[in-house]
Amino acid sequence: MANVGLTMTLGILVALLLVRVSTWVRLMVTGALVLAWSMPPVVAVQVWSWMTNLQNGVLNYALTQLGIGNFFQHNWYSTTLSQYGMVTTLIVWGGLPFVVITVYAALSQVPHELVEAAQIDGARTWRILKDVTLPVVKPLLLILTSLSIIWDFGVFTQAYLLIGPGQQTPNNYLMSIYLYVEGYGQTNFGRGAAISILMLAIVAVLSIFYVRSMLRVGDE
Amino acid sequence: MRRKARQRLGWNVVGLIVFFVMAFPVYWMISTAFKTNGQIYDFTPSWLPTHLTLAHFRAAINRPYFWTDVKNSAIVVFFTVAVALVLSFFAALALAKYRFTGRKLFIVLVIGIQMLPPTGLVIPLYVVVARYHLVNTLSGVILVYLTFSLPFCIWTLRGFLIGIPKELEEAAMVDGSTRLGAFVRILLPLVAPGLVATSVFAFITSWNEFIFANTLLSNGKTQTITVWLADFYGGSRAVDWGAVMAASTLISIPVVIFFLLVQRRIAFGLTAGAVRG
Repeated sequence: MANVGLTMTLGILVALLLVRVSTWVRLMVTGALVLAWSMPPVVAVQVWSWMTNLQNGVLNYALTQLGIGNFFQHNWYSTTLSQYGMVTTLIVWGGLPFVVITVYAALSQVPHELVEAAQIDGARTWRILKDVTLPVVKPLLLILTSLSIIWDFGVFTQAYLLIGPGQQTPNNYLMSIYLYVEGYGQTNFGRGAAISILMLAIVAVLSIFYVRSMLRVGDE
Repeated sequence: MRRKARQRLGWNVVGLIVFFVMAFPVYWMISTAFKTNGQIYDFTPSWLPTHLTLAHFRAAINRPYFWTDVKNSAIVVFFTVAVALVLSFFAALALAKYRFTGRKLFIVLVIGIQMLPPTGLVIPLYVVVARYHLVNTLSGVILVYLTFSLPFCIWTLRGFLIGIPKELEEAAMVDGSTRLGAFVRILLPLVAPGLVATSVFAFITSWNEFIFANTLLSNGKTQTITVWLADFYGGSRAVDWGAVMAASTLISIPVVIFFLLVQRRIAFGLTAGAVRG
């Protein structure tokens, strides 16, 4: 699941970037993020398949024009790897806003005194980031990571529709799609249920951290 | 100072690139919806629609079942939100204000259910719904959506309720108000923003939902609008992209509007308490 890693890394980088840009740029970026966030997944899938369309997708055109290579009538869905690539970009695009906005909110809560104290002690930007900012926002980052893992693990709509309901083969199954095709598509409820349980077990292990920290909140 | 200004300029440029990447798909959707077919199918894409046309919107709306399915979605969303709101409000009230046996178990369930990937539950829920002969009915879908929106609503509302000091209610009761009176006059107005945020969220999730709608509703008359949109291109790749984009735009509009209203609160609700300054 490269998705989570990508989403989190990019998310944190963009959040750090937001602290550094001028106010008007920040407002523009936040606006774009919220817009992307609010797109219904099914709609996003349609837009994606239009942009990466075989005949005249705008992505192919832009990449060719930028001199990255000749992508004229390049089929993005010809190999499993590039299918996943497309699904991943779509998911990261949709998942980034939540991470960026939450991390940015957390960053703005880092006490100024701490940063200033570190500066007076002669710490460089990188040191401040690593030893002051990061420890403060760490609990939040952990929660975000486990949430992202859980969400991305169960991802279905994007992968199912973008690759195309007819194009699902054992080679490009994600777990959720395997489950759907086996269980529902071939009305093999028994096997479907078995996959479900496996999947839930994996997610349960992954989400222990999130549940634990939420429980602490709930006990107040 | 000079160096600092140049640094900021650099960051700004990077910021603008991020803006462009995030916003472009949305822009491309809207602009395609307004373009003429000539522009859409040209091998050299045009960045701006030069001849605006509403033909695609007309085509999308006139496709079979568009209005039926919008109506279906609206019905499903309305009932899900209404039921979820009432039930979760009382549940959250109990969680926030009272200690009772099984409270801990209840919290674990509420959080745990939100963690389950919906796909994992497609099969079991389908079997249950089928047993009660609710496949292909909207009430079946509403029931299924409730299993997901309830825990979320309970949890978010609990957060809002906890923020309201107990003393306010007690003061009202000392001044001679009944328990019900204190509830209506003190608690309800204070929690109103929370109720709005929660219902909007329930609205968005059920409007966007696809897997269950796709599983449980299989004919055009009863399906919801997301299934309608997904079916738009069926198996073929020769698609009327203008109409698809027009329909996509139309379907996104209600979500975007509501989303903008409550975006801040949702982010807060999911991670509440994680960062303490």
